[in-house]
Amino acid sequence: MAKEQMMTGCRASAEGAKAAEVEVICSFPIRPYTAIMMELAKMVANGELNAEFLHGEGEHAQLSVVLGASASGARAFTGSSGVGVTYAMEIYSPMSGGRYPAQMAIADRTLDPPGDFGSEHTDAMCTRDQGWLLGWADSPQEVYDNTLIYYRVGEDHRVMLPQMVCQEGYFISHIPDKVVLGERSQVKEFLPPYRPIGPLSLTHPVSHGPQIRPDQGAPMDAARAQTFLAVPKVIEEATADFNRIFGRKYDPFVEQYKLADAEIAFFIMGAHSNTCRTSVDRLRKQGVKAGMARLRWVRPWPTHQLAEALGHVKAIGVVETSTSYGGAMRGGNLIHELRASLYDLDQRPLVTSFMAGLGGETIWPADFDHMAKVLTEMVKEKKTRNYVHWIGM
Amino acid sequence: MQAFNYKFQQFEPLKSFKCVPEPEVYVPGHRTCAGCGPALNYRLVAKAAGQDTIFIGPTGCMYVANSSYLCTPYACSWIHAQITNGGAVASGIEAAFKVLARKGKHTGPFPNVIVMAGDGGSVDIGLQAMSGLMYRNHKVLFICYDNESYANTGIQTSPMTPYGAATTFTPPGKEIPEGKTLFPKDAPQLVIGGHPAVKYVATTTVALPLDLMNKVRKALSQPGPTFLHMLAPCPKGWLFPEHLTREMARLAVETGMWSMYEWENGAYKYTNVPKKYKPVNEYMKHQGRFAHLKPEHIAKMQAFIDERIKNVKERIPIPIPTPKQTA
Amino acid sequence: MAKELPGYGTINVPKDREVPFGAVTPAPVCTQNLFQTSNWRIVRPVKDDEKCTRCLICYLSCPDACWIYKEEEDVMEWVAGFCKGCQICINECPTGALTAVPELDFPDGVVRLEKPF
Repeated sequence: MAKEQMMTGCRASAEGAKAAEVEVICSFPIRPYTAIMMELAKMVANGELNAEFLHGEGEHAQLSVVLGASASGARAFTGSSGVGVTYAMEIYSPMSGGRYPAQMAIADRTLDPPGDFGSEHTDAMCTRDQGWLLGWADSPQEVYDNTLIYYRVGEDHRVMLPQMVCQEGYFISHIPDKVVLGERSQVKEFLPPYRPIGPLSLTHPVSHGPQIRPDQGAPMDAARAQTFLAVPKVIEEATADFNRIFGRKYDPFVEQYKLADAEIAFFIMGAHSNTCRTSVDRLRKQGVKAGMARLRWVRPWPTHQLAEALGHVKAIGVVETSTSYGGAMRGGNLIHELRASLYDLDQRPLVTSFMAGLGGETIWPADFDHMAKVLTEMVKEKKTRNYVHWIGM
Repeated sequence: MQAFNYKFQQFEPLKSFKCVPEPEVYVPGHRTCAGCGPALNYRLVAKAAGQDTIFIGPTGCMYVANSSYLCTPYACSWIHAQITNGGAVASGIEAAFKVLARKGKHTGPFPNVIVMAGDGGSVDIGLQAMSGLMYRNHKVLFICYDNESYANTGIQTSPMTPYGAATTFTPPGKEIPEGKTLFPKDAPQLVIGGHPAVKYVATTTVALPLDLMNKVRKALSQPGPTFLHMLAPCPKGWLFPEHLTREMARLAVETGMWSMYEWENGAYKYTNVPKKYKPVNEYMKHQGRFAHLKPEHIAKMQAFIDERIKNVKERIPIPIPTPKQTA
Repeated sequence: MAKELPGYGTINVPKDREVPFGAVTPAPVCTQNLFQTSNWRIVRPVKDDEKCTRCLICYLSCPDACWIYKEEEDVMEWVAGFCKGCQICINECPTGALTAVPELDFPDGVVRLEKPF
């Protein structure tokens, strides 16, 4: 049984990549994910990890390098934050469509302006239409675990898609917490080596990415849509295996905390769920039937699982730590897909959203109390007055 | 700087046309224009490099015209790259093969990794990636096939378009009689000027097939990054009849519009230097893209070329420090 | 669940519109027969064998590899299937052994393909 260590999310990410024996790493510095690359650089320099560590000339280059490496049959790893994530935008679709299952570790950060180093989900959420697997961790332990789980799911031949493993900048990336690293035997049992399909080769020459006929455009899109229908099953298998081998208790898609008999619930993603859990406990002590649903995968979005988990709740507060200006609810970008997931239920819960934690600010227990008050009011009035509330403003 | 410790092909120079390797690695059956300079270029490069090659093809004519539809003319492995990142994708491929060779997952010879980028994909939108590649000491040959425009999108100006050339973004008009008022970048100088790891840089044209192929082979025999700048005349873009493609390349050298040289270990070696340069108009008069120019514009071009030719005669080799390789 | 939630439907791609996985296609060998370009030309090069010195300039001038040197017979052979009629070889031939002749003059000229690609 491996011992418990204190480590930051950045270090946990690097340890996950090392455990996965990544082969090509491309770095470029940007706060707050840089420490992931600093840790990996040390590992490579000391001979602990047999990998090529390239200094990319920017985030666009980082993704381009891992595309080439993955196409050649190497397990590739990179990462970024904030505007770095958006700078690389051009490459996400070629990687998804080319079916190159490399991984990107994102320690999220607000987009410019104003150059705030704090955490927001918007950077990686911007990419959610590009065809990657995408999800957030809520602790350094889960960062390490997700690094392995996402490689396993992404490299499965039923999937073959690149993955973004996200964590909150600063809250997870820089604050140490207890982590148990896997033993080598556990990792070996869980994560098989990368087997590329039709890689660039001298013995079996192939052409990667020629132009297609116009009538093949829709089929090419449809192929990836079909893949996303198959991904949830792979996630379930991988999570079950991971739980068994490493002794965890992850629900594959949605962590359900005191949700079964909840009347009001928080729908949340990432690090602030830690405060949310303790707030739920406190509210319960006060007699409020509160619960929490924590989203673990943004892509593929667990539509049916969310409907099942939250269908009985009377009022749901979506905690949004991202912005979608001009969006349907004029708030963040989780609420749209949550409402869509609940739309076909006979009894639809009331749904509102709370813009909280923006700019990397802490969401305080008092904020959750306030949210609970709003949700309780909604239940009493049997209506949603507003789609969105801005905490503290 | 770390030495390149992987087994890779060493090429002998080709002594005559009869020694040219027979297999076509860029095979017939592609949608390039009749008389396409870059296509001829590609064919000669692929022949010279052989089957153990991986081409990276940034978006451009040599991607779009070659790979429609779902069929390509590359008999060796090839991957499409964005116009922005030819150098970066090639870096990833080279790094992957190094690590795979170390781990015993790749047991053959180290591949000839070649980027075939147009002028835009080399010195404009692709400049950053090209420079990163040259800086990081990857064993990759970066070829700029220069048709002096963004040709595939319908002939727009690029930083390699000559002064006075008409393109759809530099049309001549009352206000701007020359069309293009800017003078072009000098691609090989960009590489030579600031990248200590670069092993070999050379210029060549499709009119000199043996020279072109031997430079490719020499570049591939180096243990680090190399750059070749190839003049590839474009009948559609330059507006000349397509049977004159090689003729245009010849005239470019004869008028001084294109200088033939090699650079390695800090020293320049000029070849094919005309004893007497023909006036630039001998080259420009065949090409519709210059048809609108007045004598004063042609004089301006002549002055620019005269300055460049002066450098050929007077260039003093400045040894650029190349860090010693450590085993 | 009281009411069954909608599913995601099924996708059936017709076989003739399928795209290989990740758009990865095998490399061609010798020629890319899926892209015939012979019907582009309006003239073709005709060789006067007596004038031909086997200098191989035509062989190295063709973007489409349409001249082959047959070593055993010591003769240059023209590849009809891909020649686009650009006439570079005709222009480059140092002895004038090649002339441009209109396609329509030949019984197999103006190749009309049923499916161009």
